[in-house]
Amino acid sequence: MHIHKFEKIWLIFGISCLVIFLSVVGVSAFYLGNKPPSCLATINPEKVDETKPFNKPGLHKVEGKEWDYELVYVAQAFSYNPAQVEVPLGAKVKVIATTKDVIHGFEVAGTNINMMLEPGYISEYTTTFDKAGEYLIVCNEYCGSGHHLMFSKIEVVEK
Amino acid sequence: MAKAELKANQKTEVEDSSSLKGTLASVFFVGLFIVVTWVSVYYLFVDRF
Repeated sequence: MHIHKFEKIWLIFGISCLVIFLSVVGVSAFYLGNKPPSCLATINPEKVDETKPFNKPGLHKVEGKEWDYELVYVAQAFSYNPAQVEVPLGAKVKVIATTKDVIHGFEVAGTNINMMLEPGYISEYTTTFDKAGEYLIVCNEYCGSGHHLMFSKIEVVEK
Repeated sequence: MAKAELKANQKTEVEDSSSLKGTLASVFFVGLFIVVTWVSVYYLFVDRF
């Protein structure tokens, strides 16, 4: 079979791009252990308030885990609990969130924390808060008439 | 009587359609655009927490 020289060049270029892009995704998933925020952890959506850790929303220091803090959020139409939280700069935090009613979004604007909160499921994201500032949490899944009023705040402060 | 005339030795211009230079340029234009956007989004992701 005859293949033109130029065709060989762009085939090699295209295939190597594909291999590189897919390897990056593969390393992220299988070596670094990244997974979707909502990954098999479930909860009874009617008993969120009684279920640990959602019975105490907010920032909690934890010992003996890979992360220093757990930041627990409960979402419901049309607010987040807690409405405002202070996180020390440089802390490794596991954000744990769920919803009591319908599907809500959980986007910390300007960061990689962006999860969907589905009733019956727990969404988690572990990250190091290494930039000081005020971060807005917004709901980015339309959840009803008060959707645009639904927000919360994270303040990353030096302590 | 009218004569059907055939001009001999008339040159017909045939474009060389086997050249793929333009195609190569277009492929790399699109390819580099994809690579540049992919890399910039990747660095945005890595830079944020």
